[in-house]
Amino acid sequence: MEKITRREFVKIGAGAALAALLPKSLMRADRPAGSGPLIGVAGGDNSKLVRAAVDLVGGIDKFIKPGGVICIKPNLSFSSNNDCGTTTNPLVVKQMVELCLEAGASRVIVMDHTIHQAELCVERSGIKEAIIDRKVSLVTLQQERQYAEIDVPRGTDTELSKIKIAKAIQDADLLVNMPVAKSHSATGVSLGLKALMGLIWDRGYLHRVALDQAIAELGTVIKPGLTLIDATRALTTGGPGGPGKTLILDKVVAGTDPVAVDSYTVGLAPWYGKAWTGNQVKHIRAAAGLGLGEIDPAKMQIRESKV
Amino acid sequence: MSGTKVRTIRWVIQLLFLGLFVLAFIETRYPLPVTFQNLFFRFDPLILLIVSIALRAVASAFLLALFVIAATLVFGRFFCGFICPLGTTIDIADSFVRRKRTHASGLRPVKYFILIFLVAAAVLSVSFLHLFEPLVILERSLTLIFYPVATFLAGFVHLGSPQVYTESALALLVLATILGLSLFSERFWCRNLCPLGGLLALCSKFAVFKFSFGAGCTGCGVCENICPTGAISVEHARIDAAECIDCLRCVYECPPAVFRYRLAPAPSPSTMDLSRRHLIGALGTSIICAPLARTLLHQRLSDRLIRPPGSIPERDFLNACIHCGKCMKVCPTNGLQPCVLEAGIGGLWTPRLAARIGGCEKNCSMCGQVCPTGAIRKLDPEEKTYAKMGTAVIDRTRCIAWEQDRVCLICDEACPYGAISSLSETIRGTTLLRPFIDEQICTGCGLCEARCPIEGRAAIEIFSIGEERMRYDPYITEEKIRRRACEEKEEDLPAGFITDN
Repeated sequence: MEKITRREFVKIGAGAALAALLPKSLMRADRPAGSGPLIGVAGGDNSKLVRAAVDLVGGIDKFIKPGGVICIKPNLSFSSNNDCGTTTNPLVVKQMVELCLEAGASRVIVMDHTIHQAELCVERSGIKEAIIDRKVSLVTLQQERQYAEIDVPRGTDTELSKIKIAKAIQDADLLVNMPVAKSHSATGVSLGLKALMGLIWDRGYLHRVALDQAIAELGTVIKPGLTLIDATRALTTGGPGGPGKTLILDKVVAGTDPVAVDSYTVGLAPWYGKAWTGNQVKHIRAAAGLGLGEIDPAKMQIRESKV
Repeated sequence: MSGTKVRTIRWVIQLLFLGLFVLAFIETRYPLPVTFQNLFFRFDPLILLIVSIALRAVASAFLLALFVIAATLVFGRFFCGFICPLGTTIDIADSFVRRKRTHASGLRPVKYFILIFLVAAAVLSVSFLHLFEPLVILERSLTLIFYPVATFLAGFVHLGSPQVYTESALALLVLATILGLSLFSERFWCRNLCPLGGLLALCSKFAVFKFSFGAGCTGCGVCENICPTGAISVEHARIDAAECIDCLRCVYECPPAVFRYRLAPAPSPSTMDLSRRHLIGALGTSIICAPLARTLLHQRLSDRLIRPPGSIPERDFLNACIHCGKCMKVCPTNGLQPCVLEAGIGGLWTPRLAARIGGCEKNCSMCGQVCPTGAIRKLDPEEKTYAKMGTAVIDRTRCIAWEQDRVCLICDEACPYGAISSLSETIRGTTLLRPFIDEQICTGCGLCEARCPIEGRAAIEIFSIGEERMRYDPYITEEKIRRRACEEKEEDLPAGFITDN
């Protein structure tokens, strides 16, 4: 995971640096719409969405080498039923697990640092149905010793300079981020970037500093190789814990660019009854500002399919 | 049958019941349906007696205990010798202790003294059961001592949060004292102090079958020395049926094998009866102690005392609760903690929700399911969410959203009921979101207090304001359903959006 993402990161970073140097008009000419990051959007039958979405961004073999160790990070934070829309649809996670096994993964770890009591979250979210094989394990990250401190080289002293992140992802070959699309009372929306807070030990700390900026800085050290946003339904108000309004979208959004995936998904639903763009969400904008990805949907290659 | 064989069989039976008791303890966990977990308590006549008197209502869950009474009236105190798991624990401790032989001490009537004290206090509507009831003492010891230690050690092998309790030391002291008394004589607790033993002794005295001396006694005194309760007097060739716990030791150790288990309908003459002086003493003690234990019935003094959801009114609660600790064992967040003095001296080891440690999960009502006496009502998880335990109060001087303009709102995030709204407030031209509590919706579950990210004491805390304590009435009312349904959560746009472009 590290190598691929680092290379990508360098590319994106270099691209962003270049973009910053170039006059805007010139850049537009250089990069016609459609050459940016790939976004795969599959819609329709919830039991087939993941494969379709992954195929749109290059197929699972592009991401998983046989024998690889894969971490899947759904949102299991709340002990509420699946239909509340506060946790990732277990059906979606299950498909990803199946894909990983098909591609020859030696181990698949499904994990999250839950907010409510872990056992109850696991039970209520229905996630156990994704644990279909001996190679698959479900881990809740409730213990400090499951974390190791790392430096945040591109963080700021005021927000993040060091942070404890889950050891499991530091050792894995690929991290698949599988958040659920939902509103968030503090950050506006909670999508892929916000979901990375489920991989750190002291999430409260991020709230004590400038939250939006800290989330973006977190994105510089936790880099999912693949982000799959569960937009089978979106909790458009009352997030992240609910209760709130859920909107059925029957979609899964896939991509390797964490900013692009989030930014695209912002446009999929009206949050708090209003239409927004990724640029209007502070933490996504901050992440784009750090060069973590493309925020403008016009510059993404969006591929859609119906299943 | 040889003596060794009988002894082995008795150990097997004893360990089987102790094992069953421990198994019931371990299986008291989320989300198992509660089936056999309370069975031992249900057979406990002392709980039946004291809770019924204190609550002024027959504790029908414990009517099975009448079987134990009936069986004791036929067979004697076999419960103490074979079944009581605390008795077995004491036997195990005894087997490690070397002591000089001790004989009948003058302390034996103390158990009757304690029994009368308990009954009299219960008549005065105060329960001291938790201090002396053997099954309760063992159950609580398992919860407050064994469980934290076991989960701590288990943590070295696999991941899992160790349970912690704010009060384990006193519980350890009680257990250690009971086991340590073995230094003075075998089964010291059972023969001298245990009020359940006392109650069964009163029945056993009239038991239909009793052990007695047959012909051929050589007066060697072996039986007198080995009797764990000192019930045998060789001099008078007599066994005190009230003290005998049917352990069979004399039967198989007696060289000429003179002991017989026979139909003997006449009550056994006992030398250990409670004197009138003792009786008056016990009554006097209870009259003094009972009022003094009711120190904190007035809850205005303890507005941070949050009882588990569905707890009956405090006065009844203190009478019904046997302080066994099952609710604290089963609580999946570890939020239910033993009171030390929070509920007054009589509330020692009663459960309270220490929300800073863990809140009350929305979809769990295990504490009420496992409560053996109904001090916490058996509510289904749905009805539990309507049982208001208290109300969250924000300390705006400590809250980092209020005082330091941080984008926090973790309390809003943690609240599963939508009782916390993030509303914008403009001060000198700057608009910021602040958490507000809807006290109509808040159930006092404390998940917000548990999650509040500031150091130390939370900036949002549960107080007993608005708590609902009902013994019989349903918690779900049409009014509440209507209120919850039409209460559309008011929420301003999160600060995470940029609105001006």
